[in-house]
Amino acid sequence: MIGMTGRPGETVTVTGRSDMATSTHTRTRGPIDDRTGACYIYGIVPADVEIVPGVTGIGESPAQVSLVIDGDIAALVSEIDVAGPIGRPADLIAHEELLNATAREVPVLPLRFGAVLSSPESVVTDLLAPNHDEFAAALASLEGRTQYVVHGRYLEDVLLREVLSENSEVARLREETRGRPEAETRSAMIQLGEIVGSAVEEKRAADTDAAVDALTPHCVAIMLRPAAHEHDAFRIAALVDTHQQADWDRAVESIAEGWQDRMTVRLLGPLAPYDFVSPEPTPAG
Amino acid sequence: MTTASSAGSTGVLDRPSSSGLADVLDTILDKGLVIDAFVRVAVVGIELVTIDARIVVASVDTYLKFAEAVNRLELAPREEQGLPGLAKGLSEGASKGKVKGAAAGALEAAGDKWREFTDPHDRHDRSARRNRDGDREE
Repeated sequence: MIGMTGRPGETVTVTGRSDMATSTHTRTRGPIDDRTGACYIYGIVPADVEIVPGVTGIGESPAQVSLVIDGDIAALVSEIDVAGPIGRPADLIAHEELLNATAREVPVLPLRFGAVLSSPESVVTDLLAPNHDEFAAALASLEGRTQYVVHGRYLEDVLLREVLSENSEVARLREETRGRPEAETRSAMIQLGEIVGSAVEEKRAADTDAAVDALTPHCVAIMLRPAAHEHDAFRIAALVDTHQQADWDRAVESIAEGWQDRMTVRLLGPLAPYDFVSPEPTPAG
Repeated sequence: MTTASSAGSTGVLDRPSSSGLADVLDTILDKGLVIDAFVRVAVVGIELVTIDARIVVASVDTYLKFAEAVNRLELAPREEQGLPGLAKGLSEGASKGKVKGAAAGALEAAGDKWREFTDPHDRHDRSARRNRDGDREE
């Protein structure tokens, strides 16, 4: 198991939202020392969230996660040591786990790994203030919604047998090259592989379309991720509203069952809506 | 016969309780809001370790891998009655099957590959497969 940053079982980052009634709860500004540390930013949340005490962030000696508030929005941050290493597997996982745990409770705009500013003040002036209304609107639109990723991967043997049985040229080239020395067959092998590759691409496109059609009625939006492996059938990110949850789960299970002889289907989530935020906020100034 | 690995609780659907590193890399290095690069670089000189876990699909290397995989199919039996939905077109022309056990082994291997993908990351997955198949190292 890849390191879980010392918090196995920790699943809650924030505890829901505070109404006016609970607003007496102290909002920490974060114990960040401008002289030695920098401010690592995980994501943007509504200002009225509360962080579970003791939740820590990335880094070799992770600091407490805190909020930097500006108006209606806030950044989830923790102090990091700029001299220390960052980007270790444990850091990457901590970043994602923190955001996913947050997304299970409140709307969150996830930042890509590696966003660092010098101080809580610069988080306000460089990130929150220039984008306040846009972030607030985005958070409002994500209320009650989380992301899932559905990932289908072909079983290699089944995939290749499908291709072989559907394409006589593949069968011919296979007979021609099989068991012969590599030096003699290289160009035929490349040709064979190219035909198989394009046949796989066609299958991928058709299966992606079918999966999207099956899932579309049960989610708010869909984004396709490109294939990351030659056996990938589809990688579909979807934004799912709470009221769609049961139907969504059923739809994914039905895809997995329908194709169980051809591929494995995985469902990741709920996740922070990584695929549904636009990459660049407005720069400061 | 079910070949899907089902670590999750819902039958054939694999529903891991937390993302593996491969999934994490794919997501947080590639998606999400980005602070203006000027601001970030100007403020702290942290060098990020970025790993491109993606493969280039349209490459000679990939083609050769496909071709080798197709040619390797002869190692598994062509008679696949035990495997639903397989080898429809193959069953007539080519069915001097070998042992059934080999087919089961091949499918288990596919399942293993799948599970490995959830583990360290993609490249590890691929090199592990090559080793298993006795293929050449890169």
